[in-house]
Amino acid sequence: MLSAAEAQILSTSFSVASLALLWSLPLAIACAFLLARQFPGKFLLDGLVHLPIILPPVLTGFLLLLLFGRNGPIGHWLEQVAGIHVAFTRQGAALATAVMIFPMLVRASRIAFEALDPRLLEAAAVLRAGPLDRFFSIALPLAGPGILAGAVTAFAAGMGEFGAVITFAANIPGETQTLPLAIYAVLQQPGGESEAMRLAGLSFTLAMSGLIGAEFLQRWMTRRLKG
Amino acid sequence: MNPLDIDIRLTRGAFRLEAKIRAPGDGITVVFGPSGSGKSSLLSAIAGLAPCEGHVRLGREVLGDSAVDLHMPPNERGIGMVFQDARLFPHLTARQNIAYAFKRSPAHKRRDIGEVARFFDIAALLDRPVNNLSGGEKSRVALARALVAAPDFLLLDEPFAALDGLRRRAFIQVLLDMHARFALPMLVVTHNIDDAAALASYLVALRDGQVAAAGPFDQATREPGFAALLDPRDSGAAASGILLHSGAETGQKYLWLRADHIVLATERPVAISARNILEGEVESVRAEQDGSRLVELKTSVGVILSRVTEEAVAELGLTPGRRAWALVKVHALQH
Repeated sequence: MLSAAEAQILSTSFSVASLALLWSLPLAIACAFLLARQFPGKFLLDGLVHLPIILPPVLTGFLLLLLFGRNGPIGHWLEQVAGIHVAFTRQGAALATAVMIFPMLVRASRIAFEALDPRLLEAAAVLRAGPLDRFFSIALPLAGPGILAGAVTAFAAGMGEFGAVITFAANIPGETQTLPLAIYAVLQQPGGESEAMRLAGLSFTLAMSGLIGAEFLQRWMTRRLKG
Repeated sequence: MNPLDIDIRLTRGAFRLEAKIRAPGDGITVVFGPSGSGKSSLLSAIAGLAPCEGHVRLGREVLGDSAVDLHMPPNERGIGMVFQDARLFPHLTARQNIAYAFKRSPAHKRRDIGEVARFFDIAALLDRPVNNLSGGEKSRVALARALVAAPDFLLLDEPFAALDGLRRRAFIQVLLDMHARFALPMLVVTHNIDDAAALASYLVALRDGQVAAAGPFDQATREPGFAALLDPRDSGAAASGILLHSGAETGQKYLWLRADHIVLATERPVAISARNILEGEVESVRAEQDGSRLVELKTSVGVILSRVTEEAVAELGLTPGRRAWALVKVHALQH
C-alpha cells in the first residue's frame, strides 16, 4: 500500500510530532495553569504564548535559526556543553513543531483549567493538600480530558507543520522530511502531481483521524471522570 | 481542645467584616446571621482561604497575624471545613474522597476509614462515584472526609442548607453525635434559629459584618442586638434542653421556644399534659412594634418569652413579679 519512501515520510512525521508534543505539552500545561488565574503581567505572557500564531511561520523558523543555529547563543552553548546540533536535524524539526503547536496546547489546557471549579481546590486545601499537590491530585485529572483532546489535535497539526520546520530544519529525506515537506518536494519535480495527491490524501486522513479521535477521547474521558 | 481566637477585618467591595470572636474548644459555636452578614467570609478567613487583616489563633498557635505579616496557608492550619455544597471530588469515588483526606492527615491522628464510614452509615456506598449519591449521602461523605483529615477545629458552612425537614434533623443529630464521639470542636454557620438552638453551646450573631451578640447561647440570645436579627415570628428564647424530649438523649443543649407558641395562665392549669407546663415569675413586659406584648417569664428551664395582646396583659395583671404558668405546645418545638 505504502511505498518504502512513503513509510519513511510517515515515520519521520510521527517521530517529529511525538517529540514536539513531548517537549511542548508540560510547558504548555504550566503556562495554561498560570494563565487561568490572575497575576501581574499576565497580558505579557498571554501575548508571548500566542506569538507563533501571529508571526509568519517562516519568521518563527528564522528566529529559531538565530537562537539555535550554530552561531546562535543557545545553539553555540548546546554545541559547547553537550555537542548537540539542533538546526537541520530531526530534533530541530521537532523543536520548530513544538513552538508552532505550543499556542494550541496552551489554549486547550487553559480552557480545561478555566472550566475547573476553584472551590474544589479550596476543598483540597482544607484537607491539607499543598499547592503542588492540589495541582496534580485535583486540577490535572479534572482538566485531563480537555488537555488530552488538545494534545491529540496538536499532534495531528504537528505532523503538518511546514514553514517553521523547512526554515529551521530544511527538507532532508529520512531526517526532517515530514509529510508536508515531502509534498512540497515532489511538487518541485515535473510529473510529481500523482505522488503529491497520494501524500495529500494521507495527510488529510491523518488530520481528520486526529480531530475525530480527540473528540471521542474527550467524551469518553469526561464520562469516566464525572461518573 | 484549643479555642479559636479571632480578631479580623476584611473588605470585599462595599462589604466590611469586623469580627472579634472567641470560639471555645469544648463545644459547638454557632455563627448566626442573615445572608450577607459575613458568615461565610468569616469562615474563609479562619481557614486561610481569604486574606484578611488582624489575627487568627488556635490555642497558642498563630495561624495568621497581619501585624507580623504571617499568613499560614490553609493546608497547614489544621482547620477543617465542610462546605454547603459538599465539594466532593467528582473524579473520585466516595472511598477515594475519604482516602484523599486520610493520606494527608498526620500519622499520629489517623482515624480508621471503615470505622468512620460505619459511624456515618455510608459503608454501603463507599465505592460509588460521588455523582450517584443523594444530597444527604454527599453531606455525610463530606463530613466523613473532613473528620478523617483529623483537623483541630472543624468549620461547617451551613452543611445542611440543601436538606429538607426530616433529613435536615437527621443530619443535625449526626453532627451532635459526631461532636460527642470525636470530641472535635466545631464552628457551625446557620441562619435558622431552630438549627442554631439544636447545635449551639455558644453563639456568635453577625449583622452587616459586625458581631451583634456573642456568648453562651441562652445568654447571647437575650442580648438586645440578637432580637433585632430575628424575623419577628421567630422571637423567642432558648430553653435548656431538659424539657419535652421523650426519653432519648440527643446531646442537644437548647430548644428555641417561640413567643408565638407559648400561652400564659395566671393560675395552674388543670387537665392538661403536665409536662408542658412551666411555672415562673414575670420579669418584664415589653411592647413590640406591632402592638403586641412580649412577656419575659423566668422558669426552671431559663427565661422564656410569650407573645400576648395588650388586653391580655391588662386582664391577667401581668406585671413584673407576677406568678404565671407557660403552656408549651410540644409539636411547635419540633421544627
